[in-house]
Amino acid sequence: MAGSSTVLSDSSLISRLDRTLLPIERATALLSGLAAFSLMFLAAYSVAGRQLDRTFLAPLFDSIGLMDGPLPGYVDYIETLMPLIAILGVSYVQREGGHIRMDILVGRLHGRALWLFEFITVLCMLILVVALVWGSWAHFDRSFDCARPLCSRDSSIDIGIPIWPSKLVVPVALAVLLARLLLQLAAYGRAFVLNVASPAAVPLIQSVAEQAAAEAEQLKEDSK
Amino acid sequence: MSEIQIGLWVTGGMLVLVVLGMRVAFAAALAGFVGLVWLRWSGFGYDPARFGKALEISVKIAGQVPHSKVSSQALSLIPTFILIGYLAYYAKLTSALFEAAKRWIAWVPGGLAVSTVFATAGFAAVSGASVATAAVFARIGIPEMLAAGYNKRFAAGVVAAGGTLASLIPPSAILVIYAIIVEQDVGKLLLAGFIPGAFSAVIYAGLIVAIAVIFKSVGPPVTGFTWRERLVSLPPALPILAVVVIIIFFVYNPFGEAWGTPTEGGAVGAFIVFVVALLRGMRFRQLLDALLETAKLTVMIFTIIWGVLIYVRFLGFADLPHAFADWIASLNSPPMVILICILLAYAVLGMFMDAIGMLLLTLPVVYPAVMALNGGENVAAADSAFGMSGPMCAIWFGILVVKMAEFCLITPPIGLNCFVVAGVRDDLSVQDVFRGVTPFFIADAATIALLVAFPAIVLWLPSLA
Amino acid sequence: AEAMATEWNVSVWGKRRAFTEHVEKLAELVSEKTDGEFTMNISYGGLSKNRENLDGISIGAFEMAQFCAGYHRDKNRVITVLELPFLGVANLEEEVAVSSAVYNHPAATDEMAQWNAKLLMTSPMPQYNLVGTGTPRDELAEFEGMRVRATGGIGEAFKAVGAVPTSVTSSEAYQAMESGVVDTVAFAQHAHLSFGTINRAEWWTANLNPGTVNCPVVVNIDAYESLSDAEREALDSSVPEALDHYLSNYGQLLKKWDEVLEEKGVEKVELSDEVIAEFRAKAADPIRENWIAEMESQGLPGQELYDLVVKTLADHRGGS
Ligand code: NA
Ligand code: NA
Repeated sequence: MAGSSTVLSDSSLISRLDRTLLPIERATALLSGLAAFSLMFLAAYSVAGRQLDRTFLAPLFDSIGLMDGPLPGYVDYIETLMPLIAILGVSYVQREGGHIRMDILVGRLHGRALWLFEFITVLCMLILVVALVWGSWAHFDRSFDCARPLCSRDSSIDIGIPIWPSKLVVPVALAVLLARLLLQLAAYGRAFVLNVASPAAVPLIQSVAEQAAAEAEQLKEDSK
Repeated sequence: MSEIQIGLWVTGGMLVLVVLGMRVAFAAALAGFVGLVWLRWSGFGYDPARFGKALEISVKIAGQVPHSKVSSQALSLIPTFILIGYLAYYAKLTSALFEAAKRWIAWVPGGLAVSTVFATAGFAAVSGASVATAAVFARIGIPEMLAAGYNKRFAAGVVAAGGTLASLIPPSAILVIYAIIVEQDVGKLLLAGFIPGAFSAVIYAGLIVAIAVIFKSVGPPVTGFTWRERLVSLPPALPILAVVVIIIFFVYNPFGEAWGTPTEGGAVGAFIVFVVALLRGMRFRQLLDALLETAKLTVMIFTIIWGVLIYVRFLGFADLPHAFADWIASLNSPPMVILICILLAYAVLGMFMDAIGMLLLTLPVVYPAVMALNGGENVAAADSAFGMSGPMCAIWFGILVVKMAEFCLITPPIGLNCFVVAGVRDDLSVQDVFRGVTPFFIADAATIALLVAFPAIVLWLPSLA
Repeated sequence: AEAMATEWNVSVWGKRRAFTEHVEKLAELVSEKTDGEFTMNISYGGLSKNRENLDGISIGAFEMAQFCAGYHRDKNRVITVLELPFLGVANLEEEVAVSSAVYNHPAATDEMAQWNAKLLMTSPMPQYNLVGTGTPRDELAEFEGMRVRATGGIGEAFKAVGAVPTSVTSSEAYQAMESGVVDTVAFAQHAHLSFGTINRAEWWTANLNPGTVNCPVVVNIDAYESLSDAEREALDSSVPEALDHYLSNYGQLLKKWDEVLEEKGVEKVELSDEVIAEFRAKAADPIRENWIAEMESQGLPGQELYDLVVKTLADHRGGS
């Protein structure tokens, strides 16, 4: 859950790949936050434009061509932004272990048994995400045809802007998630085979992290 | 195998995956996807040569859902409401609110806890997300209560329970989601949440005072604030009031001539909190943090939304909601008994599921059934089972369900608010928070019973609009 | 074909209403004519979002669906000719006639075939007249600065005479009107009734007739071709009957509309012929020229399609 998982790193290849992927994922999440932020300005602009257009200031704003009435296509812009806000950061959340799950069972497991369960559920996710990358790409592909103006074969309801860029966000975001899942699959698989206590590059449930810290303490004690 | 049977098998399979610890959003989506393939292939008579075709069609149906369901103007309220919550934290509105509540109310037994509840209720009026509210007040409220000698578990329980108020008191992301699933007026639903939300806060406060009086050591009163100190604590909390007024103007049009639609109101409210945060010295770094946190919570919620909607799309092809509504309508028990059973089922389900996921999973099936129980979407109050018209029943049931969903935020084993509070505070385990929040189950149960017995608490405000 | 029963999934949206009565009737007739061998399972929103019904047909998710051309003009450029403002269509019978003429044009069938779709019938919609608050607007100058909830071609038409088209979704239209975000809303009568905009209205333009949306019902070509001869015959022969049912049903709704206007004291505004002519000249002509040029530049017979509409309308009036 939020704030309760940690990702360890070490010098292994998997951990290095994790640290290569992380900046990309963080950038996608930040982009998603920025899109949410822009939503706020879009509304403020549209409302201000509409309200000012009803006051004595209207001619002034008319002449500078800004805030001249409500923003045409306001709904279309929001609908275009939403996939960016809602989906782009999906891999970052997976990396941080932020997608909700029920951990009454896995929370009680340790070592190999835990890695086996994690491996299986990540494998299931992987199968799903492969299907979704295919399906969402097909959805994009149906709206995209470069023989036409702006490559558009599907347009928004009000001002007719092309929809394909917004549809393309989904397979791209899911492809990043796919890379993340492959990495996690490898990490859990390795942890299972080698019986690693606290593997790098995967989110560890807090109790596991605590356990790792306790073991580190134990090692210190032993080496004294 | 019939479509309904496939529907039940797939649903069972999904629950197994969830119990095994698969992320809920993806378990639902996988179940929906497998169900689509199964259904289609069974339609092809399980002909091996046509399995590929069944797979391709299902992949394409499922692949539409994320983009299709997410690109909605009404859903844009969710990131906006979440963003307001994080910006309000950096605008120091939350601490100002808590400080004011503390100086005015802390003198009663359990007063700091009561202050926390009223401050969360005030913050709830700008924040749309319970989880964000709980996270913020775990940082502000708990240290103060511990410093005043409060019981650690009790303090954590107060914050976890207080956080749930954000979902009833408008603006509320979860009410928006309900409105969208059942296709009802967002504005009226938000309006309906107001009194039950305030009502819940008062019941929480009463419970806290009672506990503090009986167990003296749990929450000692804090005294010694002068009237001057009390008065100067008010102005820093005022911007909250401004935002509340703006959202009210947009959502409810009290004077007929208002400024816009709810979706615009949310965004303009966020803009104002942003300006206040800038004026109060928010750094660029903090803005980036707020945006990243907003993105994380938003993406988490939306992943559940589209994941579950893939499953719901499968349900649509299996025609399960229809079958369920017919079955409920054919039962011989009194409608009120059935409704109470449905609410109890939510309480049980809520123990294992997250609130939004639960609503999304169940409403497509349960909502038509409840409407059928009342006598249909367009029934008049006089001919209905619950004594209210179809649209009013939709609002009433929405508030009941959202209150149940809030209840799930504090019930083990997946009470998200409790996890968040424990996550923010290193000195608290999840078990501690769950133990501290237990008394609030009673308060919530009492609230829900009153809302069921006296629907007017819910329906009075929206019936004026 | 096999002896196995055929069951089609049909994707429409919203609730059962006048707008979907021909689909319901079609399902009933087809089942009757084939002794229940060929049935249709009509889903209101359970199978797809309305703007993706054409995608659903294309991937074979369901066999029959309804959509509106204005939802996504780039998916169905050809039939948007039927959504041009001020075509002069006066009633639903004329709407059926012009629609079926365009649906049978090779350009339309070709474009739909790219979605694996075959145009079966239209869902004739009456003209999108305005309901409004304040004093009635019956002169062109009064449209200047008017905030109108209108999308697509109709929105453009109002823009051409100085009005401000404002984007709000249809479910937010009532609230937008109540809050003063818009002064007027353009809908067909049944939508004014179901979205409640009539409850805020003080007047209604009875004869502005600025245009309408075109919402065909399509079938998946593969599914259509794999029907047995008897089934296909049952389907094809039921289309005119289903449309007749739709028209008589809508006729009753229009009667009710007049009663509602009276009951709520909504003024019926009749614009003079001169005002309408002026509106057409200012709005319809440039938009149409623009549309034709755009279609021709994409290799579609824009002029020919427009002429087809005009000719069909003239023939229909001459014939009846
Ligand atoms: Na709230
Ligand atoms: Na729970």
